Amino acid sequence: MRFALIGNPSVGKSLIFNQLTGLGVEVSNYPGTTIELQRGNTCFKREIVELVDLPGIYSLDGNSEEETLVRGFLEEGDVDAVIVVTNVTRLERNLYLLLQVAEYGLPMVVVLNMIDEATEQGLEIDPGPIHDLLGVEVILTAASQGKNIDQIIPASLAALSPAKVEIPYDHHVEAAIRSLGKMFEADRTESLRALLGFGDNPELLEAARTIADEIESRHRMTAAQIIAANRHNFAHQIADLTLKEEVVLPRSDLDRILTRAFPGLPILLGILVGMLLVVFIVGSFLEELIVNFFDVFALQPFIALGLPQLVETLGTSVLIALQAGLGIAFPYILLFFIIISILEDSGYMTRAAFLADNAMHRVGMHGGAVIPFTLAFGCNVPAIMSIRLLHSRRERIIASFLVTMVPCSARTVIIAGIVASFVGIAAAFSVYGIVFLLILVTGLVLSRVTPGERFGMIMEMVPLRQPDPKLVVKKAWTRLSEFLFIAMPLLLVGSVVLGLLDFFGIMAIFEEAVEPITMALLGLPGYAATALIFGILRKEMAFETLAILAGTADLGTVLSSLQLYIFAVVTVLFVPCLATITVLLREVGSRITLAITLYTVALGLVVGALLFRLLS
Amino acid sequence: MLPSTIEDYLEAVLEITENGRQSVMPQEIAAALQVPDAAADAVIASLIEEGYLERLTGDAVRLTEKGHSVASQVARKHRVLQCFLTEMLGVDAEAASKEACTLEHGISDETIDRLSSYMGDAQSPPGRRCRGEEACTLLDCKEGDTVRVAMMRGPRRHRRLLDLGIFPGEVVQIRRKLPNQSVVVRVKGCDIAISPEIAASILVESCPS
Repeated sequence: MRFALIGNPSVGKSLIFNQLTGLGVEVSNYPGTTIELQRGNTCFKREIVELVDLPGIYSLDGNSEEETLVRGFLEEGDVDAVIVVTNVTRLERNLYLLLQVAEYGLPMVVVLNMIDEATEQGLEIDPGPIHDLLGVEVILTAASQGKNIDQIIPASLAALSPAKVEIPYDHHVEAAIRSLGKMFEADRTESLRALLGFGDNPELLEAARTIADEIESRHRMTAAQIIAANRHNFAHQIADLTLKEEVVLPRSDLDRILTRAFPGLPILLGILVGMLLVVFIVGSFLEELIVNFFDVFALQPFIALGLPQLVETLGTSVLIALQAGLGIAFPYILLFFIIISILEDSGYMTRAAFLADNAMHRVGMHGGAVIPFTLAFGCNVPAIMSIRLLHSRRERIIASFLVTMVPCSARTVIIAGIVASFVGIAAAFSVYGIVFLLILVTGLVLSRVTPGERFGMIMEMVPLRQPDPKLVVKKAWTRLSEFLFIAMPLLLVGSVVLGLLDFFGIMAIFEEAVEPITMALLGLPGYAATALIFGILRKEMAFETLAILAGTADLGTVLSSLQLYIFAVVTVLFVPCLATITVLLREVGSRITLAITLYTVALGLVVGALLFRLLS
Repeated sequence: MLPSTIEDYLEAVLEITENGRQSVMPQEIAAALQVPDAAADAVIASLIEEGYLERLTGDAVRLTEKGHSVASQVARKHRVLQCFLTEMLGVDAEAASKEACTLEHGISDETIDRLSSYMGDAQSPPGRRCRGEEACTLLDCKEGDTVRVAMMRGPRRHRRLLDLGIFPGEVVQIRRKLPNQSVVVRVKGCDIAISPEIAASILVESCPS
């Protein structure tokens, strides 16, 4: 048996999917979290049931990636029942999609989710009308409390007959459906889809287009507009029958302050700066604890064993890698992902997108780009993945350039560990200043030169919610473990290779060769170049490598403040890490990836050289 | 004095000052309306008395706020009617202008709004700039306004608006409008954030005053 979950964004599909399958699907309170199909299995009465979590969409008639994906999935019909999840507090809008799904005539179960929120708003829900109209089972649930979730699978197994619905369309549309049906023996749904320009029969499509043009010239509205309006109106009628507003309870409206220029913008800035400060301060404190703990309880006892030289080198390398990995992962990355998860789940991100829309226009994107940008402060990898939220290739290209330049938490480690610790906190913020300035300039230039059409933002402001601490931690943990899986092996291998190269004296030869160049260009010793190159594996490794090669973690004793500052700036700008390059390849293709890589290398070296000339 | 006379005079002043000029001489008004100078002077004097015009240095006059609002309403009616007569009915441009001058004084605001949105929906011949000039968009609305969507420019471009419930005939409320023109509208109980350039493509039925 295979069932699919379908619904608007942020209605709790992924949460229900999680509860039914126990898989760690990410739940976010902003549109477009689930872009690929998530599949999972669950057992019911010793039968294996496969569940597919489809991406959140508003309609089946759009052209976005998600909508095309879901449409394709439904057209294949390789599913035993669809479970339509709706947010009952926004029922009318949710019913619009539900009606479209019902028109496909697949066996269906309707889940009216968030009844807890509806009760708080004084809504009384009667599942009767939907049940009677569509002939399907209707379940009232509160997914955040796990209420009635257990009824979904039994109801889906029992749903055998297809959903039935006849939306009353405008008489011209109805006439078109009838004549297309006569001419091509197409059924109602097929004719309707042909009028909207979907289908695979070219003759049917051609005829439908002629009729659609005729309808448009008569109505002064496109066929798509008429059909959408008819569906919305029908949805409105059903919503009226289903919901009764008992008493209108006063609702606190935080948007009064969050979405105004004042105090909304200061709040947005405060949140971003506060987030960085917390990660900086709490992160470096925790990191020190972990690093010291490792020194005292692992490294020192290991060296005290007095093992043979080669074994000792290998063992120390492994321990240092673990120390570096854990010292970064827990304090910085986990902390950051927790904060981001809170912001996402609260629904604040869409407010941020609205406020930033105009600023993002300047650099050639729209407000939705705020989401990848904020994510990028944690890790560029999920940030690059989320640029799919942007609808044109033009915006995606610009975003991929700019997002790779945003200092991620690994680069924060470098800025905090090198500049803040050895040069000063003001200098650390100046590194951010330089990077942001370069991002701005790059954005301004790219928005001028990148070809392609501009698209604006049309984004639903999801309701503000109190994030559930359990879900927040779970999500942050999932993201962290992904990070650990990619990072730790690279870190271990890199550290061991480095240890061996050093052991056999190869490193010294390389450093001697590049030292004249790095000294002349950046004023940095040769081993800094090695550290930079290892930084490509993972950014924070540049810091660790520098410490290992310098032979001390107290970098202030071997390098001047200026050298440390330049090293940090160059590392932060220089080439995205390997993982980022991998996702870039997948998302924007090899040409753009190459361009981004070359651009960032050049930028890092040029800015580093300039700083060296200006400040020395 | 007939209301139509007041409106004609104010409209004439508005027309003369439209290109950035601050004031108008009575002779210019007389010439524009093709009446004797003396007759014009008398009417102008009473318009000043009633607070539609104010006198500046010398004989020059200009519109007060009150006068400006009357004048621009009449001018709008004139344009809409002229558009309708030429574009829809194919009346000759000069005749249409004359006829609009007569009709503009009798027609109600409501009818003009409907006529304007009716024409907004229609496909006007290319090259003419009649359409759109009269139409107000979401950007012309203030926070808190509740308006009915009349039409969308480029209806195929923003499919998502349709799916979120913003289509001709639907009533939307402006929840938020930032100084930089980004707007949030409430439709079907949901708040939708829209970029300025998209909001500018959504025409609304009646211009909020």
